[in-house]
Amino acid sequence: MSATTFGWLVLLFPLLGTLVIGLGFRSLPGRSAGWIATATIALSFLAALGSLIALQGHSPAHRELSSSLWNYAASAGIDAHLSILVDPLSVFMILIVSGVSTLIHLYSVSYLDGDRGFARFFAYLNFFVFSMLLLVLAGNLLLLIVGWAFVGAASYLLISFWYRRTTATKAGIKAFVINVLGDVGLVLGTFFIFKHTGTLDFLRTFKAAPHVFHSGEGDIVAGCLMLLVGAFAKSAQIPLHTWLPDAMEGPTPVSALIHAATMVTAGVYLIARMHPLFELAPAAQDVGAIVGCATLLIAGTIGLAQTDIKRVIAYSTMSQIGYMIMGVSVGAYAAGLFHLMTHAFFKALLFMGAGSIIGAMSGEQSLQKMKGFRKAMPFTYGCFIVGGLALSGIPPFSGFFSKDEILLVTGERGGWHWALYVAGYIGALLTAIYTFRMIFRAFHGEPCQEARELEAGHLHHAEVPTNPANGEVEDTDVGFPGPHHTIAERALPMKIAMSVLALGSIGAGLLQIPKVDFVIDDFLRPSFANSPLYETHTRNGLLVAGLTLGTLIGLAGIAIAYRVWVLRPGSAATIRDHARPLYVLFVNKWYFDELIDTLVVVPAAWMGRFARGTFERVVVDGTIVGGPTGLVRAGSAAVRAVQTGLLRYYAALLVLGVTALGLYFLLQS
Amino acid sequence: MSIAWYLAVSAIIFSLGAVGVIVRRNPLVVLLCLELMLNGANLALVAFSRTWGNGDGQILALVVMTVAACEVCIGLGMIVAIHRRRLPIDVDELRELQG
Amino acid sequence: MPLSILIWLPAACGLLGALVASRVQRAPAALALFGSLAALALAIGYIADYKVGAHGLQHVTDVVWIAALGIHYKLGVDGLNVMLLGLTTLLFFAAVLASNLRRWERPQLFYLHFMLAESAVLGAFLAQDLALFVAFFDLMLIPFYFLIGSWGTGPDRVKATIKLVIYTLVGSLLMLAGAIATGVLAAHQNGAPITFVLSSLQSLPLHRGSQEWIFLCFAAAFLVKMPAFPLHGWMPDGYRAMPIEVLMVFSGVLSKVGAYGFLRIALPLFPQAAVHFQLLMLLIALGSIIYGSAVAFTQTDARLIAGYSSVAQLGFITLGIFALNPQGAQGALLQMVNHGLVVAALLFIIALLAQRAGGSEDIREMGGIAFRAPVLAALFLIVALATLAIPGSSNFAGEFLILLGAFNAKLAIAIIAFSGVVMASVYALRLLIRSMHNRVGPKVHSRELTLRDGAVLVPLVAVILLLALYPQFALRRSERAVSAAVSAAHALSGQRALPRRLDFARAAGSLAGNAGGAGANQDTGSAP
Repeated sequence: MSATTFGWLVLLFPLLGTLVIGLGFRSLPGRSAGWIATATIALSFLAALGSLIALQGHSPAHRELSSSLWNYAASAGIDAHLSILVDPLSVFMILIVSGVSTLIHLYSVSYLDGDRGFARFFAYLNFFVFSMLLLVLAGNLLLLIVGWAFVGAASYLLISFWYRRTTATKAGIKAFVINVLGDVGLVLGTFFIFKHTGTLDFLRTFKAAPHVFHSGEGDIVAGCLMLLVGAFAKSAQIPLHTWLPDAMEGPTPVSALIHAATMVTAGVYLIARMHPLFELAPAAQDVGAIVGCATLLIAGTIGLAQTDIKRVIAYSTMSQIGYMIMGVSVGAYAAGLFHLMTHAFFKALLFMGAGSIIGAMSGEQSLQKMKGFRKAMPFTYGCFIVGGLALSGIPPFSGFFSKDEILLVTGERGGWHWALYVAGYIGALLTAIYTFRMIFRAFHGEPCQEARELEAGHLHHAEVPTNPANGEVEDTDVGFPGPHHTIAERALPMKIAMSVLALGSIGAGLLQIPKVDFVIDDFLRPSFANSPLYETHTRNGLLVAGLTLGTLIGLAGIAIAYRVWVLRPGSAATIRDHARPLYVLFVNKWYFDELIDTLVVVPAAWMGRFARGTFERVVVDGTIVGGPTGLVRAGSAAVRAVQTGLLRYYAALLVLGVTALGLYFLLQS
Repeated sequence: MSIAWYLAVSAIIFSLGAVGVIVRRNPLVVLLCLELMLNGANLALVAFSRTWGNGDGQILALVVMTVAACEVCIGLGMIVAIHRRRLPIDVDELRELQG
Repeated sequence: MPLSILIWLPAACGLLGALVASRVQRAPAALALFGSLAALALAIGYIADYKVGAHGLQHVTDVVWIAALGIHYKLGVDGLNVMLLGLTTLLFFAAVLASNLRRWERPQLFYLHFMLAESAVLGAFLAQDLALFVAFFDLMLIPFYFLIGSWGTGPDRVKATIKLVIYTLVGSLLMLAGAIATGVLAAHQNGAPITFVLSSLQSLPLHRGSQEWIFLCFAAAFLVKMPAFPLHGWMPDGYRAMPIEVLMVFSGVLSKVGAYGFLRIALPLFPQAAVHFQLLMLLIALGSIIYGSAVAFTQTDARLIAGYSSVAQLGFITLGIFALNPQGAQGALLQMVNHGLVVAALLFIIALLAQRAGGSEDIREMGGIAFRAPVLAALFLIVALATLAIPGSSNFAGEFLILLGAFNAKLAIAIIAFSGVVMASVYALRLLIRSMHNRVGPKVHSRELTLRDGAVLVPLVAVILLLALYPQFALRRSERAVSAAVSAAHALSGQRALPRRLDFARAAGSLAGNAGGAGANQDTGSAP
């Protein structure tokens, strides 16, 4: 089979899974919906492998294959076909997406076991994977937008999966609206580009772009900036990031899948995919790099002050995606995508570990209540350590190689990029500190009540389940979130999923070791064949300095965290008191939510109320409708007065009128 | 004989009818007066027809008679209906349909 | 088969039902159902039989009606109305089916009016003579006057009905004046015999001054009908007063007649005026989008959320039409079909929700319905996502084309119009969440969709899904007629045409040949 046939199969399986589970949810017994879902994604992964093998059979120059099913909307000069593009970049992405998704599905089968929404969850999850695969396989801009929006819709559904929680539905609508804002950016960007190229198809756009655009010309810069808006909204970059932390309202596997491994990296993919356009718009590239850099710093600082374990990981995700966005914006395409892959492994692993701990705390997510789980949950602890080391960039874990490569390429660009380089290393220090702060607070120290119970072999259950976000008592009538919790130590599927990801977190870095091997570089090269930025000539000095610096900074961060939260448990409070204003700023997430509230939400709501309350009543109903209808009414009232209902009166009038007319004509002649 | 006489008679009959319609309150009488007006018109039509030696007027007169017959039927029917519902037989009292 | 059968069959069924009602009690409902189903079947036949490649009208009926005035009874199908026929008959079928689910007082009259309305709407879509169009356009109002006044709900229904009728009649009156003026002036200014046939009028151009005031007359009638901001004042009361089955077709179909009128009459007959008033119309469209969306997301009455969202959606349609280019108009026409389908389904769902929320249509009293009604929740989700035009829905294909058209015509207006897209996601999701999700409302008794409700809803959702997969089905049918309809105005507006579909491989190859000439090729392919 050809690579594109495999590509269509990759899409087909998750879609089939959605339909089967969605239509047959009543008749699927027990956990079968979960297994069906897992199997379809696994099949999809196999098909992705198939397309990889088929693609490698082509010569490097012919590894961009597209295939189209039917005309989607081809009229009035638009050429939108239902087409996919299979090239090394998209194959790389579908492998990651389907691979990690398979493991997350496997994990979810156990994790959501006690939930009444089990089948619904897997229908959504499969739909999400389908959308994500559609996004990365799309062969034209319109289909990319479709995948882009479907992913947003699926993430909305999954975030507000436990829809009896008002916090969850609020978070869902927020995520969706910000994602729609991103869609709008994407559509506008498409318009700017289409205006000149006259085509939506990727390959033709890229072919035409250098001929129809001058480098740095207004329309291409505007177009790329608009694409960036889309990328920022999806990838939770400042200032469109506020939905991501709130999105942690979703079940933990959702956070692992959507908010760590796949969806939020779509922005990175977009910039990499559109690199021929971005290279024509250096200003847009610079904006991307600066925003990515700002995000990685700001998210890192917020991560230091958060106490909800999932939110800490969420801010960490933002920060890591900041690295990737910065990377692909400065031309470190392979490095950015490499980091995307390793990040998918270790961040999904961390989220799964967090899910396990939350299970042990029977739904509680606050780090302030977790303590000393090291002995009670050795497997989870091990996974956390692996994920944490990979995230902090300690060799030989995968994060070390990918993160340092991004920074290396950034440094090589020289000039003002050095500022980004330095910021990247500051971010790395923050990363190590907040990661190990989280680990030390949850696993070290005196065991808390729940941990002691677990050590004695009993999994804690809350008497009255409450929503951890606002303390509201859960609506148990509905049965979701389920009353039962699961931890990795006691569920084989969760253990398998986490083990595989842990292995990936440890070993994936070996795919690309500077000066040793270049698997990712070589594999992706055909997709970036025409990019002048792709090949870089590493200077040895910078390389060695970077690797050493990265290791040292990571270790230093861990050491600081160890000193503050393990050796001297009280010192965190002291530091907090000394840097009160900073702490307040971080804890309040730099006031971005409040800022957006004042700038957008409040005026819009005011406008709506004004329109409905005042304008509608006074102007629309009073003047514009009241005017003409009032005139008609007044006229009719005047005429109605003549209609007395007295027959004889009418007859007299008639006779009079006729007589008058007759007289008039008689006198005329 | 000059047509003027015929027309004068016709006009007198018509006027009598019209005055009757206006001044009388009993619907039965109003109906009779209406007939009077129609017949006044018929007389004029026939007179003109004879003067011009043309059949059109007579034909029209026949049509008017037919219409008058229909109208009387409906009118009498309505009066009977009014009577049955024990409403006053008085056109001034029957003014439900005012605007 | 002559088009007259399609038009008059529903009315005939309604009349027959009314006549035999005293003998067979169920006859009016059953006959109405049969009539609307038969009309749907005929319309599907016309859609299937439609020849995409052919020029001009198909299945023409052309009989002289009033010879002295040059008025013909001329009907015909072309790309502009072929999909709208399908929409009209489908929605009327769904609405009649929905009406069959409950008992009405005096059913014979109810169904008679309902069927008469279908005939009138079909006539308005099919009429190819200006006078005939005006006649059908006004005929539409009569059955709805009775439907709202006699079978409506709420204490203010009489007041609302009168307001609606007077207000739309003022618009209709202006249109009548405009129509007469068109026929008379066209004949006078070109020294030709008087005619009202659209195709003949098109070859008798009016002077610019007369075009302008006549255009305004027509625009007033169409904008009131749609309704567009700020002429939508009859809408809230009218929507509240209508039985929801009637509202399904009123909102789904009647509003489209106005938009259709622009494409069928205003743009081809008054191209200069259309260009002259382009900015005004675009601003009205923009106002409708923003105002409708803003009110919709503070509204708590579910029905009015649908109503104001329609104002916004019709704003998008107007925006597309007055982009005065093929993209915008194509998108507008597609969006008419989409919006009709979606709003009818949405209104029916609102009726179902109200049944479950103790009869209240206020979203504050709903909540938590989804749990015991997963199928209803899933269908509502699909409809809600289509309402907010999620990419991948046919609504998005329409909006994409509309905004692309607007983008090419007036950049700034298109960019502001995008805010409507964002606001749509707020009000559609708000409606979904407040009714289906969150805690269970105080008076809510949730239960699953019944089979009979499903019979109304599922076909609509199925068509929404099918169109989402293949919007090209509608686009390819309308392409030729739409570009003909806007061609005159487009040429006059002097826009830089979009590059035609280019073979860029070839273009790039030839460019590589004369290296260094790349800079000069920015205008590659732009038509003069």
